Amino acid sequence: MSAIVRVEDLHKSFGGIVVADDVNLSFEAGEIVGLIGPNGAGKTSLFNLISGVIPPDAGSIFVESHRVDQLPMHHRARIGLARTWQNTRMFHSMSVIDNLLIATRRYPGESLARILFRRRSVDAFRQEATEKAMVLLERVGLADKMHEMAIELSYGQQKRIGLARALMSDAACLLLDEPMAGVEGQAYETIIRVIREEAQAGRAVCVVEHNISFIRDISDRTVFMFNGCVLASGSVDELTRDSQLTDLYFGGEHPQ
Amino acid sequence: MEYILTVMVLIGINVILATSFNLILGYGGLMSVAHPIFYAIGAYCSGLMAIHLQIPVPLSILIGAAIAMLLSFGVSLPSLRVSGDYLVIASIGFQLGILHVINNLEFTGAAGGLTNIPVLNEGPSRSLVFVLLIAVVAACAVMLVGWIVEGDYGRAITAMRNDEEAFSALGRNAMNIKIVLFAIGSGMAGLAGALYAHYFAYVTPEQFGIFTSAALLTMVVVGGAATTWGPLVGAVLLTTLPQAITFLGLPVSIMAPLQGVIYTTLVISFLFARPQGLTGGTRGGGGLEAWSASAAFRARRKAE
Repeated sequence: MSAIVRVEDLHKSFGGIVVADDVNLSFEAGEIVGLIGPNGAGKTSLFNLISGVIPPDAGSIFVESHRVDQLPMHHRARIGLARTWQNTRMFHSMSVIDNLLIATRRYPGESLARILFRRRSVDAFRQEATEKAMVLLERVGLADKMHEMAIELSYGQQKRIGLARALMSDAACLLLDEPMAGVEGQAYETIIRVIREEAQAGRAVCVVEHNISFIRDISDRTVFMFNGCVLASGSVDELTRDSQLTDLYFGGEHPQ
Repeated sequence: MEYILTVMVLIGINVILATSFNLILGYGGLMSVAHPIFYAIGAYCSGLMAIHLQIPVPLSILIGAAIAMLLSFGVSLPSLRVSGDYLVIASIGFQLGILHVINNLEFTGAAGGLTNIPVLNEGPSRSLVFVLLIAVVAACAVMLVGWIVEGDYGRAITAMRNDEEAFSALGRNAMNIKIVLFAIGSGMAGLAGALYAHYFAYVTPEQFGIFTSAALLTMVVVGGAATTWGPLVGAVLLTTLPQAITFLGLPVSIMAPLQGVIYTTLVISFLFARPQGLTGGTRGGGGLEAWSASAAFRARRKAE
């Protein structure tokens, strides 16, 4: 297996609060990594550091062979990162299908000059993106909602749209921030299936989730974070057998 | 008759200004208030070139617009780093800074204004011809903005305005869009300024201050931000309304502040009662709603 994303000695603090304390991690192709830890452990911050929402204080981040930690967000995304957000972050005045179209790799409306002078290639790109979006909406079970405003769907449905949107770009690495929050019933199975399929297609997937049984179901490896540190890595069962970790997770003291 | 034609010229100029401001503020969600400074740059550059370099007026108008377009980097580059409230402040700084320079330079006429600007056209029906010209330019401005904000490029603009971070995380370049919106919007304002200068033959720095920013903001908000026809409606309404007041025969000491009061009252009441403006729809279809903090808040609350 080869590392799609490699994080080395990553450090970030906001004043006195350390959100990443010399983090070393890698996500391999085809692997699903579960990222767990109590609130404020630095899981979402790690996603923000990798995807470029916040700049690191020190350390390096590689996506495939590219060093990305100094690159702007959109550049990193194009190299091969796709993410979802805890609070869905739909484009609220746009329809579901438009939300997805924005994320396509070869976006038809990338420049005005292109729209003006290369009409035909723009039309071809849009066609290609629309077909792809339809397939993805079908896969997450929301094809019938394509023309609805994204913001008018339920939270769980928005989560699924967010997942489909992240899949539009064929990124090598998927960072999923609480994909199961608000998701119930059949949608739960759907999401598990989609994430597994994406990993089987060779993508590296990292999932932040509080639902431990979901992490147990889906992850090949689980990483436990606390106070910005990676404390342990292994299977969910190995981690939950460690009483020190479970204490931390459920509100214990800082380990000395 | 001449008076009516002059008002129509002003309406045309304001339609171009409000429409281009709407591209930046309404559609782009880029909270810059410095729009009148590009209006000034177009007016002064074109006027000065025609006076001192004897450049033919139509050519100097185009060059004036091009310079305004170029100088839009003065606002678009800060906008890459700061947004929202901070961009408002940065843009005010830019506007007042340049205005201060114009106010103190000898060759721009300083506070007294630039006089004897060559006019674009002469003859007995000069105003009528100019009205027709400005109507064509204003129509082109509305159509240009309409074309930019529809389709694939417009979708990207909307997404950027809705959530710039999520937009960038999907591999889209927000920087490019901001630079393009500022360049096109400011170029159009420069064109309006140059046309103004070569019709009235006289400009003063005080025409391009914060009061003009407020007036343009009112036109966009009242008409409907991020709508095609809103700024046009707003510009027509808010150009004719102050003219209508002058017929009331009030003393100047009351009239001058009254205009300011009308603008602020309108902006505030529309923000509260009808944020989508006169022409905006109720859902997703533009209006101030499209970028207001309350819309984002409501969206988030609904999501949770």
